[in-house]
Amino acid sequence: MIAQFAFASLTRRPLRTALTALGIAIAVGSTVVFLSLGEGLRQAFDTGLAGLGPDIQVSYGVFDTTSLSSVPQLPQRYLGAIEEEAEAYGISAITPVLLYLRGSLAAATAFMFYGIPEDTDLGRLYRDYTIVEGRDLAPARVERGDDGRVPVVGPAVVGEQTAQRGGIAVGDVLRLNPSAAFEVVGIAVADGGLLDNAILVPLEPLQAALGAEDRLSFLTLELDDPSTAGSTAEALREAYPELGFQTRSDLSSVFERAVRISDVVRLGISAIALIVGGIAVANTMLMSVFERTREFGVVRAVGARPRFLMGLVLFEAMVLALVGALAGIAVGYVGALAVNQYALDLIGLDVAAVTPRLVAFAVAVAGGVGLLSGLLPAARAARVPIAVAVARE
Amino acid sequence: MLRASGLRKTYVTPAGDVHALRSFDHAFEPGKVTAVLGPSGSGKSPLLNLLAGFDVPSAGEVWLGDVAINRLPERERSGLRLRSFGFVFQSFNLVTVFSALQNVALPLGLAGVPRAERDERARETLERVGLLHRADHLPHKLSGGERQRVALARALANDPAVVFADEPTGSLDSANGALVLSALEQVALDGRTVVLVTHDVALAGRAHSRLRLLDGRLDSVDHGGATVPEAGLQDAALTGPAPTADRAVPLTSR
Repeated sequence: MIAQFAFASLTRRPLRTALTALGIAIAVGSTVVFLSLGEGLRQAFDTGLAGLGPDIQVSYGVFDTTSLSSVPQLPQRYLGAIEEEAEAYGISAITPVLLYLRGSLAAATAFMFYGIPEDTDLGRLYRDYTIVEGRDLAPARVERGDDGRVPVVGPAVVGEQTAQRGGIAVGDVLRLNPSAAFEVVGIAVADGGLLDNAILVPLEPLQAALGAEDRLSFLTLELDDPSTAGSTAEALREAYPELGFQTRSDLSSVFERAVRISDVVRLGISAIALIVGGIAVANTMLMSVFERTREFGVVRAVGARPRFLMGLVLFEAMVLALVGALAGIAVGYVGALAVNQYALDLIGLDVAAVTPRLVAFAVAVAGGVGLLSGLLPAARAARVPIAVAVARE
Repeated sequence: MLRASGLRKTYVTPAGDVHALRSFDHAFEPGKVTAVLGPSGSGKSPLLNLLAGFDVPSAGEVWLGDVAINRLPERERSGLRLRSFGFVFQSFNLVTVFSALQNVALPLGLAGVPRAERDERARETLERVGLLHRADHLPHKLSGGERQRVALARALANDPAVVFADEPTGSLDSANGALVLSALEQVALDGRTVVLVTHDVALAGRAHSRLRLLDGRLDSVDHGGATVPEAGLQDAALTGPAPTADRAVPLTSR
């Protein structure tokens, strides 16, 4: 009965109903777009981390969100030391990595160089690693001696997204700094997002070019049994207290904390839109209750309990909010696609994602907004005095 | 039986107390139309509000059988109105977003009657007032007389013991007024108590008894009986030809 009454009332004034639902749709849509950024970052991180795939990452000092800085701090002697004890710790493979970010004001010319031994099995580091053009890093020698001014010190394999964004092709030369350049010998793709933005180069020429011959950014360790990552990292911490050992879950939790902080900020911004949407629903429902005072009085006279009217108004508010939420999710989805289009061009990553849990959250928030904004009008409807209402013209 | 004893209603206002109903005692007989007459401000509407359970008295009791309505909590009073009372208002007071059928089905729906059954019963009731062919029309598509007949059908939907009619012909032309009045007489013949509030003396003349209110008091009671002979009411039909003001309206029973 309540549903029949509510739908009849809402469809009687379609323009008002549509405009109110639109207010909610815009509020929910903006919330979905804002929060989809966090979801997208999570997804990119999860797939990227899975693609990189170290069971344990070793850095110098305590790991935090700035540990992936461009300054290599890990002395290379630790590579040999840990290799010697690899079997005892159940370590199946160790990869030394030197990370170098060549910054630029223009995103298209900012590159992330990964220095790794040229004989590294890249399929182990990047899931479904495939050369789509040219060749792999090995052999590390290149034919060209220089590009006219800067000496070419080794080959480079470029991620497909970086290549597309920077207009890089096989045979091009990438200058690292005034004393070293790399010749592009291959274009590669892999599952996840990290390789998309990477330029892989041999470790030693990169170390030489940066003047960091005995330094690394970090080591990645693969274990015989990945489920022992936690206990192995603990044992390594005791043996090397000056180093930081992060398992994949450590890395995830640090990242998750950072994303959650940004979630709170973005949710705070969206809350303004949600409050405005809620006020729109409350205003519509209050107007509706006022206009229908006599009708409500008649329904009460006929025998409806006060809670019937309360339920009716709350139901109408919830329907408005949920219809608005569904439209808002659609708007948010389109918004997230637009953000991704822009972000792909800029940084080569899908930064926004409309996930099932985000959809569920949006629906729940809209339901909450509908409920809260309907409470006052519903209480007012329930208090309609019958004698006054039925006598009203 | 519906009866009132020592009924009073006083409204407290900043300008002082307003005694809307000073004293009222009466028993309304089932199977009869009782008209409540009086000029504006005599206390007719406050009395109706108290009898129908819309409002609570400042003193006194309203009884339906052995139940003191005014002592019931609002939740139970709502249930009593739903099961035992029907209402016909001067301005029809139909739910504007509902069709004629949905308006008649409203009390049934509130009483928890399943959709299919309530639609069937509502159709039967609409047929009794000759408006089945208008079942799917919204109130604004109906004439004044049709709206009041829908309101009457809604009042009868739950088979109530008492029907309250507040100036039921006030918004109608004389022909439609006569039609609705005849229908109310038929309702009384079915054994229900009909309380008719009006300031129209001619209309009240057709009731079985008349109560005159003056300044919030019961001024006089006239048991003169209906001016329309009961035999004349038996076989009439609301579904007959359009009535004229000076022609007896045929009625029918189910």
